[in-house]
Amino acid sequence: MTATADAPYGAVLAVRDLSVRRGGKTLVAVEELALLGGQVHVLLGPNGAGKSTLLHALNGLEQADGELVFGGRPVKRRGGRLALRRGTAAVFQKPHLLNTTVRANVESGLRLRGVDRHEARRRAADALDLLGVAHLADRRPVKLSGGEAQRVSIARALAVDPAVLFLDEPLASLDPPTRRGLTNDLLRIFERSSMAVIWVTHDRDEALTVGDVITYLEGGAVIQTGPALEVFSRPATASFAEFLGLDTFLKGRVANGLDGATRLVLDSGVELLCAEAPDGPAVVAVAPEDVVLFTTRPDEHATSLRNVLEGTVKAVVPSGRLLRVDVAAGGLELGALITRAALDDLGLAVGGQVVAAFKASAVHPLSRHERHGDANTRTERGG
Amino acid sequence: MQLIWEGFVEALRLLLGGDAALYQIALRSLWVSGLALTVALVLGIPLGGTVALTSFPGRRLIVTIINTGMAAPPVVVGLLVALFLTRNGPLGQFRLLYSNWAMVIAQVIIALPIVTGLSLAALQQLDVGLRQQIAALGANRLQAFFYQLREIRVALLAAVMAAFGGIISEVGAVMMVGGNIAGQTQVLTGAIVQETRMGRFANAIALALILVSLAFTANFVLTAVQQQGRRV
Repeated sequence: MTATADAPYGAVLAVRDLSVRRGGKTLVAVEELALLGGQVHVLLGPNGAGKSTLLHALNGLEQADGELVFGGRPVKRRGGRLALRRGTAAVFQKPHLLNTTVRANVESGLRLRGVDRHEARRRAADALDLLGVAHLADRRPVKLSGGEAQRVSIARALAVDPAVLFLDEPLASLDPPTRRGLTNDLLRIFERSSMAVIWVTHDRDEALTVGDVITYLEGGAVIQTGPALEVFSRPATASFAEFLGLDTFLKGRVANGLDGATRLVLDSGVELLCAEAPDGPAVVAVAPEDVVLFTTRPDEHATSLRNVLEGTVKAVVPSGRLLRVDVAAGGLELGALITRAALDDLGLAVGGQVVAAFKASAVHPLSRHERHGDANTRTERGG
Repeated sequence: MQLIWEGFVEALRLLLGGDAALYQIALRSLWVSGLALTVALVLGIPLGGTVALTSFPGRRLIVTIINTGMAAPPVVVGLLVALFLTRNGPLGQFRLLYSNWAMVIAQVIIALPIVTGLSLAALQQLDVGLRQQIAALGANRLQAFFYQLREIRVALLAAVMAAFGGIISEVGAVMMVGGNIAGQTQVLTGAIVQETRMGRFANAIALALILVSLAFTANFVLTAVQQQGRRV
């Protein structure tokens, strides 16, 4: 590996043209990626997207081709990878605690780096205290709950004061209350720290909660990267939009009018107001939570819902704690998420009349839509 | 029954009386088997680790050979060692046949596959994720190897017990390559065979008691250490 001469200024870890191959198959290929200090960079994507493989390549656990620069220095073969691992720390989905006491576990990273016993003990105590598990210091891993064990694992990682903290689905095996508590504690710790954090998850809500920057991966390639809110509000592809829960895709032509409004003229002739996009063919996505249902047409001036379509209820299916109502309107099929109470209030039933409405900003034009050429129908998904 | 009882009482008298010849045989047994076990551990654990943690052509064949070696009959090992060490054999010039060294060599060959095979199996079963975690903690190759050994210490102690039990109680190979020469190469098992053949049952029982006590004590200590790190 050679140095990336023009790695982004201040990047703690930067890669260019990084690829991981196994058995003649490319598992991950990334053109560029830079981790900045004080930033939580989320690697988001479905199972098998290559997130963990990329994480392993970034922290030197997986051999990769391409340029990898850590702390301004190129990472050479084995020696460089060891230096990279010693300058960073990793926490995986399973806590992987050693069969010794909690204290010795947290000291282990420090001892491996040659820190003397007294200093290691002091720093381990600080790290355990930071994660709220100082009282567990003398216990063995088998005596810990899942949440406690993961806190110990994180304390062990933080004890070495890493320049980069790699977190590979750290909350995936925890129950929701434990996950919430640990997320809050981690965010509090990150706020006061200058380390770069790279956080792998397939959970979009978790990604948005913790991420400053989000990189979405699919099939081993980066599909989109950018500030978290921007990436979430403007997914580039249909598959990413679908991953984010936007499962109504419509195909048409964008036309920017003189009145400043952007209109999407669907192939069926229906016209919708949509978010900003250049003129030309386009695919847009609509999130079911952005679609509001009425029994009668709402007053145009009383709401900001610019797109209003009259139709019939095709199906009502449970979707978590909510209900998903599929509506056929104006030659389109739209999904809407409503509460059970709202269903009762509206008196909706399959075959009944309904009005679906949504804001112009809820119609997201996809910037890269070649992969969804057969759009204009709602993507079929399980309830 | 009378014979057994009298033999037992006489054996206790010999043991409590501190019969020098008896204890010399016991010490020789301990020395030979202890040294053989140490050599087998020093060679077998790194060998098992290398085979377990690396990939190379012919690896499966090596594992098969190790596993076969775990079940190798000691008399066959004795025969091979004798063939190599005999005056006209490939290593005949070292004049090791019928010496304590010959017994050590035979016992190393018996113990080595046991130590190698059991440590290999234990290391292979170690969670890949834990192995990655140890590397991610900043361990270099050697540190990672010792950390992994620490994680499989219970299995390693089982390997030590199996190997020690196998060689301290082995009789065929040591008699073939050691010659069972009284006062020189006679160990506990060989002495028991000889004393029984000669009808000196009290001596045989006394030697057997020492052998069983040695095996029990060694396993008692190792089990105590093993169970200290018990996970549940």
